[in-house]
Amino acid sequence: MALRQTADELIPELRRYQRQLLLAGAAGAVVSFVGYVLNPAQFFQSYLMAYMFVLGLSLGSLALGMVHQLSGGAWGVVIRRPIGAAARVLPALTVMFLPIAFGMHHLYEWTHADVVANDPILQGKQLYLNTPFFLVRAAIYFAAWNGISFLLNRWSLEQDRTGDRRLSRRMQLLSGGGLLAYGLLTTFAAFDWMMSLAPHWFSTIYGVLIIGGQALSAMAFLIVVLVWLSRRKPLSDIVVASHFHDLANLMLAFVMLWAYFSFSQYLIIWSGNLPEEITWYMHRLQPGWRLVALLLVVFHFAVPFVLLLSRAVKREPDTIMKVAAAILVARLIDLFWLIAPEFHQDGVYVSWMDVALPLTLVSLWLGCFMWQLRGRAILPVYDPQFEEALGPIIDQGGETPRTAH
Amino acid sequence: MDNPMPLEERQLTGAGSGVPVIAPGHTFGSVTDKISAIVLTRRTPIGWYLGFMTAAALTGLLLVSLSYLVVEGIGIWGNNIPVAWAFDITNFVWWIGIGHAGTLISAILLLLRQTWRTSINRFAEAMTLCAVACAGIFPLFHTGRPWLAYWLLPYPNTMGIWPQFRSPLVWDVFAVSTYATVSLLFWFVGLVPDLATLRDRSQSRTGRIIYGALALGWRGSAMHWHRYETAYLLLAGIATPLVVSVHTVVSFDFAVAIVPGWHTTIFPPYFVAGAIYSGFAMVLTLSIPIRAIYGLQDFITLRHLENMAKVMLVTGLIVAYGYTVEAFIAWYGGNAYEGFMIWNRITGPYAPAYWALLLCNVIIPQILWFKSVRTNVIVLFVLSLVVNVGMWLERFIIIVTSLHRDFLPSSWGMYQPTFWDWSTYLGTIGLFLMLLFLFVRFLPLISIFEMRTLLPEAKGEQ
Amino acid sequence: MHSPDVYGLMAEFADPNELVAAAHRAHHEGYRRMDAYSPLPIEELHEAIGFHNTRLPLIVLIGGIVGGLAGYLLQWWASAVAYPLNVGGKPFHSWPAFIPVTFECTILGAALSAVFGMLALNGLPQPYHPVFNVPRFTLASRSGFFLCIEARDGKFDLSRTRAFLETLGATEVTTVAD
Repeated sequence: MALRQTADELIPELRRYQRQLLLAGAAGAVVSFVGYVLNPAQFFQSYLMAYMFVLGLSLGSLALGMVHQLSGGAWGVVIRRPIGAAARVLPALTVMFLPIAFGMHHLYEWTHADVVANDPILQGKQLYLNTPFFLVRAAIYFAAWNGISFLLNRWSLEQDRTGDRRLSRRMQLLSGGGLLAYGLLTTFAAFDWMMSLAPHWFSTIYGVLIIGGQALSAMAFLIVVLVWLSRRKPLSDIVVASHFHDLANLMLAFVMLWAYFSFSQYLIIWSGNLPEEITWYMHRLQPGWRLVALLLVVFHFAVPFVLLLSRAVKREPDTIMKVAAAILVARLIDLFWLIAPEFHQDGVYVSWMDVALPLTLVSLWLGCFMWQLRGRAILPVYDPQFEEALGPIIDQGGETPRTAH
Repeated sequence: MDNPMPLEERQLTGAGSGVPVIAPGHTFGSVTDKISAIVLTRRTPIGWYLGFMTAAALTGLLLVSLSYLVVEGIGIWGNNIPVAWAFDITNFVWWIGIGHAGTLISAILLLLRQTWRTSINRFAEAMTLCAVACAGIFPLFHTGRPWLAYWLLPYPNTMGIWPQFRSPLVWDVFAVSTYATVSLLFWFVGLVPDLATLRDRSQSRTGRIIYGALALGWRGSAMHWHRYETAYLLLAGIATPLVVSVHTVVSFDFAVAIVPGWHTTIFPPYFVAGAIYSGFAMVLTLSIPIRAIYGLQDFITLRHLENMAKVMLVTGLIVAYGYTVEAFIAWYGGNAYEGFMIWNRITGPYAPAYWALLLCNVIIPQILWFKSVRTNVIVLFVLSLVVNVGMWLERFIIIVTSLHRDFLPSSWGMYQPTFWDWSTYLGTIGLFLMLLFLFVRFLPLISIFEMRTLLPEAKGEQ
Repeated sequence: MHSPDVYGLMAEFADPNELVAAAHRAHHEGYRRMDAYSPLPIEELHEAIGFHNTRLPLIVLIGGIVGGLAGYLLQWWASAVAYPLNVGGKPFHSWPAFIPVTFECTILGAALSAVFGMLALNGLPQPYHPVFNVPRFTLASRSGFFLCIEARDGKFDLSRTRAFLETLGATEVTTVAD
């Protein structure tokens, strides 16, 4: 019976958490506004970092959800609903992009006409790097991401109501094309919003690096959520150690991929040592910023990598949650290291807004996530893979979704 | 059984695919007999002899070409300055890439618990070994004096000098030799229990002695199986990053240089995807005729072919992503040489090859979006050939178009393959096929013991 | 207790489940020196005969670490100590350039340890083993499932152990010559 109820009915405290998080986010917004008044340039830098972090949670979840539609597997069935809820925060994220559009002049050097007038390379890029086209592109990205998320979530809701399995076929078809669109558009969004902070610099792997980071952020977040949900009925009877094991293995794979992409980019640019490329690293590896880079090597790669090799760590919900939470912090530091050195080229600098804005945006994002999680059943009971993936576990516990309605 | 469809069979069928990975009705005995009969009792088909003779003749051509090369020197090839790397490195990268599908099927799909891999992994691993053997020939003979190839290895010598470890070409020596070693070990370890089967079932004394020696005295002990499975899983875990690293190092051969068209950071993941793409194409090229000739449709089902087609579609799209980003950044970067490079590919003297590459690798494979294509054996076979050609062209374009237009127009040149370029390339295709023909004749081309684990009987159902 | 030319008693079973059940019963009965033989790996079988974990993962870990360290030290020593050579203005100790070879050496060390560690722990290659004296044992690589209680087990008694094996539902019990 319980599986057909909405998360709201099963976990009443969700509503309370949602309210508290949104209130905290509102308070944070007020504090951040003070920051904007005091130092608008710093405000937009910190905002961009925080925004890319929460955007990664939603987009990474959307992408993982589409991968699961195509690949199948028990790992995705247990996190399908958190995936959907995270993706449904995208409309809110669309609104939250507006400050970046307003802050373009503070963030992007190529918007300064006087700079471009004296820079032949930037003049060559004007066809792409100009304000109207930048905004049009952003509109296209958001339209596509929201459109894909909207259709997938609507069909999934319809399947919850009707049990129509043909909808899965439709979702798979959309996921195929959707992943393609996600990959291309997210790449160009990464070029626009982050790579063009250093308008002379370019790296063809940059989009892949950001996509891999989004997948890692989303996976780490989903593991934290699943551990939290698995301490409560009804998931406490359904989620078992092997689910965490599979998800943790995927997280390990993303950790390794991040290291692989990052190191490949570094080795190629370091070996080539061309002035237009290496300066980007010189800013990020000068004394001070080098420590942040070292921090990333240790906490974004080495420590999680070694821990996640252990079977015991991957199967114990409490430990895996700690590892996943630490990875989320490391993700934020990675974005900080990608963005902030561009504006603080004479040494490491951490503003109070680099803490306040992530806290604000994460609170708002989590509040929206809880709100979206509440409205639907906690598991996709009519998904064709549901029985194969979870049937044996549920049969043992005496709950059968087939007799549920 | 009152249940019309036992649980295991349902799992084998998988969600929504409808086609099982192994046809119903088989038992431990029938699977063993059917696969081992190809090696032990069945009369060798006439097609095997014809194919083997053709492949052996091409291998003869390879021997002639290489002998002439050693006597005469690299000048018999079309290589020149500025195009110092041409067919040899193109073929090297092409063959190494083909090999990667074998490791991917045996290692990554094992870790992902994709049981459909079982009937194709042995064969794909053998393909890896043959492809690596062919790949190794090219850099070895490109040195001009292959008998001095050991100079590439770090060993104390009379000159007191050491390999230049900051050069990707030395990394390549380590990557490719590690890859060859690990692939051989992985393949051999997988073979041991099946060699024991052949030892126990062989009718001839020679067969018993040879298979017996190779089986190392395997007796199927429970303790042995436990350690064996642990070792096999660990090897799969080790081979997965290895296969990624090998093509990454191959891509570094180009990317750490500052040649326009080579020096670009997307190369590592995009080379790896391209390798898997061409490798799966080659597995399809080979397995479609083999399953027809040996009647293995029960074991290599349409489900396998469709899954491989899906992998091709995905990796092909990643490769297309690589082309797109590369072209965009060549313009966006504002570097005159990079911009010229991409323009020269599109409109320069090698433009027809560039457009053919886009056609073969990007445009034609889009038909794989349709299920009717993915389950049509003939179309898949033709498409796999198209992708093989496309991926060869890709390496040719990357290598030759980037080299033939040097930074100074006074250093520009052209490359035309000579007869000996072609004969060496065709010769390695002959060697590849000849080694595979020998493998199919003398060793079980499907893992027998892993097929047993897929049967309902393995779970105690009758 | 037993004649020196007997290695043990070999019982044959019809399918994997019966073999696992029989192994459990024999272990429960107090037999320790025994082994089960099957044409395919059976998940719970090694536990049924009382064999638990293998040290192989640790061996592989050590092999990998030794390989990686050796690879890095070799490069550092050759490039920065034995014959320092300025190439492209790069430092003698160019750690980023040493990562690929270090990685490959780690993999090589781990893979060699996995294969040779497994063979060594299994005592392979082993050209002669008494179980091969049983004529029907050739089926152990096709479709036969066997349990062999060895004569060196303290509880072994030719007639009593044979009677015990027959109660387990063995299709055939054979004496294995040493």
